[in-house]
Amino acid sequence: MNPQYNDMERGTTLLTYQETKEKAEKRRELTQRIKAIIVERLNLDMEPSLITDDQPLFGRGLGLDSIDALELFVVIEDEFGVTIYDDNMEVFGSVNKLADYILENIEE
Amino acid sequence: MTVMNADEIRKLLPHRWPFLLLDRVTELKPGVSGVGIKNVTISEPFFEGHFPNESIMPGVLIVEALAQMTAVVYCTGALQAMREAEQEAAATAELQVESVEEVDVSSRVGYLVAIRDMKFMKPVVPGDQLLLKVKIGRSLGILSKVNVAAYVGKECVVEGTLSVSQRP
Repeated sequence: MNPQYNDMERGTTLLTYQETKEKAEKRRELTQRIKAIIVERLNLDMEPSLITDDQPLFGRGLGLDSIDALELFVVIEDEFGVTIYDDNMEVFGSVNKLADYILENIEE
Repeated sequence: MTVMNADEIRKLLPHRWPFLLLDRVTELKPGVSGVGIKNVTISEPFFEGHFPNESIMPGVLIVEALAQMTAVVYCTGALQAMREAEQEAAATAELQVESVEEVDVSSRVGYLVAIRDMKFMKPVVPGDQLLLKVKIGRSLGILSKVNVAAYVGKECVVEGTLSVSQRP
């Protein structure tokens, strides 16, 4: 789907309070699930809730490396049926970026 | 059945005694999967110290044997891809390309980057024949997951996942 078109549509059809609330809740569920997966699969010694949505996962952020990326790539494909390719590695930037990518590509 | 004997394996892998832990390849799908054999004898140098009173093959060496089998699958896959590219180049243009036979294949053996969820179900002792089964899984960039298992007879003795890296 064209993201620009998506944005336009969002702009023209205003969501009701209820819809917005549901959407936000769904989003929070997804980010919490992603955090739980990261902590469990990579054996991190921390509470999933301590990871913030925009914290960089690699390098200075959470300190993940390319070997962890391979692990995440496999688990995301298994859990969500969404494949990440070599040329869009920026998806691993943060929990929010991962959530965006999953929502965009998930098969309903 | 033999797909590759020990001499052919030595041509492919850079490993040598006492660290070449693969005697024979019995099944091979280049770049995809394979099965190999490692015969364990009391003459193995590691039994001297592991342990003086109880001969058990170190688990890490079984993992190494599985990694060497993985290297065979990887290298033959790379070799096949190079051959195909060579044939294609020869078919489209009359150009002289570097012959695959001249490439030192052993220099293409990658590195082991992760060992995950490895289980050692039963000690491996002199007289056992290890059946080493490997299957290359999903890849991201130069990294790939490999599902590995070692059997003695029908019994699974080691099972787990490796991650390997191509040589950059």
